[in-house]
Amino acid sequence: MIIKMKTIACTLLALTSLLTGAAHAEWPEDKAIKLVIPFGPGGFDAYARTLAPALEKILGAVVVPENVPGAGGRIGANTVYRARPDGYTIGLWSMPGMTMPAIVGERVRYDLNKLSWIAQLSFDKYALAVKADSPIRTFEDLCDLGRPATFSGQGGFTETASIATVITMAELGCPYKIVTGYQSSGQATLAVMRGDVDARVNPLGSLLPYIKSGDIRLLLTYEHETSVAGVPTIEELGHGEYINFGLRRVVAGPPGLPDHIRKRLSTAFIEAMQSPELKEWSGKTNNPFSPLDSEQTALAMQEVMRFYEQYGDLLRTEFKGN
Amino acid sequence: MDFGLLNDAFAELIGSGHSHYIFMGVLVGLTFGVIPGLGGTTALALLIPVTYTMDPVAAMYLAGGSMGATSFGGSMTAILLNTPGTPPNAATTFDGYPLTRQGKAGLAIGASATASALGGLIGLISLLLVIPLARSIIYLFGPPEFFLLTILCLLAIAVATLGKLLRGLIAAGFGLMAAFVGMDSVSGELRYAGDLDYLWDGIPLVPVLTGMFAISQMLHLALKGGSIVSDANRKTKLSGVLDGMKSVFRHWTHLLRGSAIGTVIGAIPGLGGVVASFFAYSSAAQTSRDPESFGKGNIIGVIAPEAANNAKDGASLLPAVAFGIPGSAESALLLSILVLHGIEPGPSILVESQREIYGLILAITLSAVGASIVGLACSRWLMLITYVKVEVLVPVVITVTLTAVYVLEGKFGDVIVCSIMGVIGYLMIRFDYPRLSFIIALVLGKTMEQAFHQSMIISDGDLVSYIAGRPTAVVLIFCIVLTLMLPAIRSYRGVRKKTI
Repeated sequence: MIIKMKTIACTLLALTSLLTGAAHAEWPEDKAIKLVIPFGPGGFDAYARTLAPALEKILGAVVVPENVPGAGGRIGANTVYRARPDGYTIGLWSMPGMTMPAIVGERVRYDLNKLSWIAQLSFDKYALAVKADSPIRTFEDLCDLGRPATFSGQGGFTETASIATVITMAELGCPYKIVTGYQSSGQATLAVMRGDVDARVNPLGSLLPYIKSGDIRLLLTYEHETSVAGVPTIEELGHGEYINFGLRRVVAGPPGLPDHIRKRLSTAFIEAMQSPELKEWSGKTNNPFSPLDSEQTALAMQEVMRFYEQYGDLLRTEFKGN
Repeated sequence: MDFGLLNDAFAELIGSGHSHYIFMGVLVGLTFGVIPGLGGTTALALLIPVTYTMDPVAAMYLAGGSMGATSFGGSMTAILLNTPGTPPNAATTFDGYPLTRQGKAGLAIGASATASALGGLIGLISLLLVIPLARSIIYLFGPPEFFLLTILCLLAIAVATLGKLLRGLIAAGFGLMAAFVGMDSVSGELRYAGDLDYLWDGIPLVPVLTGMFAISQMLHLALKGGSIVSDANRKTKLSGVLDGMKSVFRHWTHLLRGSAIGTVIGAIPGLGGVVASFFAYSSAAQTSRDPESFGKGNIIGVIAPEAANNAKDGASLLPAVAFGIPGSAESALLLSILVLHGIEPGPSILVESQREIYGLILAITLSAVGASIVGLACSRWLMLITYVKVEVLVPVVITVTLTAVYVLEGKFGDVIVCSIMGVIGYLMIRFDYPRLSFIIALVLGKTMEQAFHQSMIISDGDLVSYIAGRPTAVVLIFCIVLTLMLPAIRSYRGVRKKTI
């Protein structure tokens, strides 16, 4: 009896391997596509997990979002960069955060210039917020406190919000201090509401609910035209170039991803972002999409790298003290 | 207080036809709780894709159900094998395991189950009481208060290591050193990380704790041989579960105090369950008339941490409920489930997503009770594990544990850390150094340093006048002074008693 069972099991096993061998189809059907999220729960995680089912439908493949957190997104970045360029491992990249290690002279194991850019998912514009009942009414007030204005930061120089803070304040000649070490972007916003610090630079979308609830007030937005009535833009303060500030969520694969795979993935992401369900989700949760295809993304990323590189000296001094 | 809303939530639970999700959650939670290395966060992370197609309220039932059940699952192995299933169960080993060795595992399990269930209920009531005040409470704790709180918890080490203060401090010192590995999140400098990306975020807690408690305990058993319960004790009765349940009511003050400590510490982001249960344990030992009996099988040493452990679950939702900002790893995962269902967590989450939030709170509480019932029902068979020969037990537990640690994040570095810590932990058992002092210092070190750093930057180096202007901080300083003086007061009283 036991022998019989074994024989059946072996035959089945052999059959399955034969079948899968025969069905060794073209990409992307024979294996699951791993979508690396370089952070834990939060914005990146939400985008990836919401997009995954839509991508599965479009590509007819299995898409598995996987959190590979650590080292401010670098462990996830390395995982994607080192993967085989077969289209089965792609990942989300935080920009400009991932440009920072190289700019401030840290050792990095990935080269952004060699990545295979697939699509841009979002571009969250920033805004500068203070506590609702703060005596600081305008950006000028923030500069004339008679002491450095304090900002909350999430810790580490890969946080886009801290980068924007440093460049704004230093270039506009305002004294400032960043109190880093808050565990999440939410905790850093809470630090403003609690009165630990004067202000915080944060993606506009995630600040909106707190403006509505009357907890915080905006001093300026980093936009071309303001989307919040009565709040001036950085352009009105005479620094139109800073509308580049913002957090971009971008999808890229390892260097040398074949063109046809890159294009197909790119189309799939764009199509997914335009589907009615995802549009509805995006509107309801304040997680806006700013789709760019693979070529547009590559160009935009070159621009991002060039833009932040020009502040290299300033950022090196601020974050590495040299 | 919103008991009306709770009523609605209860009605919805019964009417929705989704109540089985809580039960499924309990089974998942118990399983993940029992396996060392796997815990509440792993269970939730793995459940996220499953909930995708569910109704958001049903998703909350499943998630809340597993979250409330893990802590009791973990206490079973803590009591029976001296191996905490989840980090917060570490404090339960102190008195739970000695009871098992004396053949009184039933007593300990009965007490643990009852204290867990009641702790969960008390946690629910305090959460409902506190929700209207949530914002003001959270505003009370800024960086200087965090710093003082961590100091207060570190002082508890001195008490928990009764009679071996010096060894406790040495272990805590090493724990602090380990806590400072990785990137200093204030200055951005990498410290003691060599050239390893793995160490960038510091030495991870779960592999360390699992190695130090589970692996080391297995090494200890393997070298000792035999089975956990000695043959002499085996003849004692397996029962005692009922006595254990009764003991919780006899020591109701400890139940209440443990729950209160769990609620307070649970509500403060960054401190977490290990600190809550350990603090509950040490405060029970500290104020006891007979502190020497702790660590030798005092049932209060099981009741206090288990109550705190379940009470903290509800309270840990407080920052999430008040602001839509998660205060713990678990609540971050819970909120991300809501985002996937098209609900944006924000300051008005309690108004806009009332069904989901109250459903979640209800699920966490019911699962604490449910897990205890399931646990009690299985306790007779579970206790048999302590009679298993170590030749069988040890390899099984080591294999399961190391696999679990790997599954957690898929990093082989975690397995290496876990194994190294297993050996160090064994040496600490062998030479009688308290392992939990090391762990508590590791947990608190980073928060302590960060909060201190932040306070210094905010106050521009003038910490004293900054703290003097903050009433909460002043109260905390008073508590610290009191804790420091407690041994002196106690010995003074003792001396006086003897002379009279």
